[in-house]
Amino acid sequence: MSAIAPSPVTAHYREAFERLQSTLGGSTLRRAVAMERFAELGFPGAREEAWKYTSLRRLESRRFVPAAQSTTSVDVPAAFVAQRLVLVNGSAVGPVPAALGGFALGTLTTAPEDQLLRTFAGGGTERFTALNAALTVGPLLLSTAAGQRSDDVVQLSLVTTGAGPTLASPRIAVRMAPGSRARLLLDHVDDGAHEHFTNAVLDIELGAGAHLTLYRLQRQGERAFHIERIESRVGENACFVMRDSQLGAALARLDTRVSLDGRAAGTEITGVFLADGSRHLDSHVHVDHRAIETTSLQDYRGIAANKGRGVFNGKAIVHEGAQKSNARQVNRNLLLTPGAEIDTKPDLEIYADDVQCSHGTTTGQLDPNALFYLRSRGLSEPEARSALTRAFAGAVMARVDEPALASHVHDELDRRLVRLLEGSV
Amino acid sequence: MLSIRDLHAQIGIRKILKGVNLEVKPGEVHAIMGPNGSGKSTLASVLAGRAGYEVTKGTAHYLGDDLLALEPEERARRGVFLAFQYPVEIPGVNNAYLLKAALNAVRKQRGLQELDAFEFLALIKDKMKLMQMDESFLSRGVNEGFSGGEKKRNEILQMAVLEPKLALLDETDSGLDIDALRVVATGVNSLRSPERAIVMVTHYQRLLDYIEPDFVHVLSDGRILRTGDKSLALELEKRGYDWVKQEASAA
Repeated sequence: MSAIAPSPVTAHYREAFERLQSTLGGSTLRRAVAMERFAELGFPGAREEAWKYTSLRRLESRRFVPAAQSTTSVDVPAAFVAQRLVLVNGSAVGPVPAALGGFALGTLTTAPEDQLLRTFAGGGTERFTALNAALTVGPLLLSTAAGQRSDDVVQLSLVTTGAGPTLASPRIAVRMAPGSRARLLLDHVDDGAHEHFTNAVLDIELGAGAHLTLYRLQRQGERAFHIERIESRVGENACFVMRDSQLGAALARLDTRVSLDGRAAGTEITGVFLADGSRHLDSHVHVDHRAIETTSLQDYRGIAANKGRGVFNGKAIVHEGAQKSNARQVNRNLLLTPGAEIDTKPDLEIYADDVQCSHGTTTGQLDPNALFYLRSRGLSEPEARSALTRAFAGAVMARVDEPALASHVHDELDRRLVRLLEGSV
Repeated sequence: MLSIRDLHAQIGIRKILKGVNLEVKPGEVHAIMGPNGSGKSTLASVLAGRAGYEVTKGTAHYLGDDLLALEPEERARRGVFLAFQYPVEIPGVNNAYLLKAALNAVRKQRGLQELDAFEFLALIKDKMKLMQMDESFLSRGVNEGFSGGEKKRNEILQMAVLEPKLALLDETDSGLDIDALRVVATGVNSLRSPERAIVMVTHYQRLLDYIEPDFVHVLSDGRILRTGDKSLALELEKRGYDWVKQEASAA
């Protein structure tokens, strides 16, 4: 047992775990070890580099009740695509189908526990990965068969809901067999009725030549706390693509960590975030180039307004021996109103000598000349600002090649920008 | 239509317009000429409502209203159009969107119904042909990657689509080769009408070979020193601007 005296909040989650553990499924030992790891690491202190711009004091002060297996279905927004599964507080209501689109589905009763309840070392979110491994209910395994290629998008709607402030710990493992291809859409929502805490983990592996596109939409309510870790290991000639849209939650932190393990493995991680109101959105992207000829692109566009705050921390490490690798990072940020703030930190570490790396980061306001040009053609100031702001996000939005999702994000950006800009003029 | 009285304007503490008087009636074409730094572009910018200029004295009325009190978009909606000397590149906002939004803003002001996508396309196709612009241009970003000539043609295309009552052309001829100048001039001439006034700001007489003005004004050091017909432009071409200044200071 750890010699460190648990602080009250870790004690709270440990007690909740002890009450729940017999109902959670899987081996109790694995979960108990994870719980201990969480208790040992605790919440991040103010001096921890990975949490420099994001304080979890509010989150730490709350006592969320970890969700049990859900038995009742809830209202969720309409699906973007034909194939969809709804997970309530991480678990399916009723029996999990054997397959969904191009994926076979597995649960703790049908799939290996060591695939479903892994913890991940390193990064600022290790503690939350451990907490998730201890408390997750109904973790889901999505797997493809070798060579199976599907262009259909499969949607997982992850809903956090509860009669009081609830901790949901959804966990999805994706195993892409060699040569397979799939597209997955992750949609995070909540009931908006309480201050819920969603602590999600995605654990992804791509075999040789596999290709996965992950669309992510975080549109939780105004009071939501959201922490998520997406861990992806990419094999030879395989490619992991992520299209992220962050529009919701009061406080959200996403750690996306990609390990390019095989020769010519690649990843593209692009996203937009809109930190309006008093929203705090923090994204950390960490890419390890561990093999030769690996390629990565990170491109995030951040928009902040009012008291909104954005944080972007992009890191690429080209390890020794990862020759002929190519790492690119772009982060452009737009501050729409004076009180808003975005902190950005691009970071490259290079331990190989034959590589191409670049990073570019900008933070600024809308171009006054472009604004005047549009207004001189009859567009109102809010219309002109909105058009320029959409154009700013456009380069990244153009990569969202799922039409229903892209159209939703466009509309939502429009709606919010017009409201925001009309309010501020 | 446009009545400017004793207009003074400055940027910061630098005084640029020092008492401009100008009367423009419907159907007229005016050319404002003058040396660099005389205030030509400032006059166009002040009339269109660009920020950064302070009007310290004088008035500008447009169709009886105080033009200077209106926001830039209000001026545009009421029929004032500025063709920019340096049209702005706006990647990510496409030409079709801008033209349609601009046209519908103007139509709304005139009490007309907004156009749907088909009506809009039908309307602009002819105008694009007139300006010798390819249809692929519609899906491109506003002025994005356009050559100097394409940018100026795009300005006149917008003007042709919006059918303003008062068009201000700010150095529309600058940076154009002779072929592009002809296309631009054809576009402008097609818009001459008894209801519409055009004010062209230009440094060179060359443009006036193609768009014949009714009046030529010489602006120098923030004031209109001389007004004449198109023969004044030819005289300026021959003798330069200095003699106008000398005669004015002698008077």
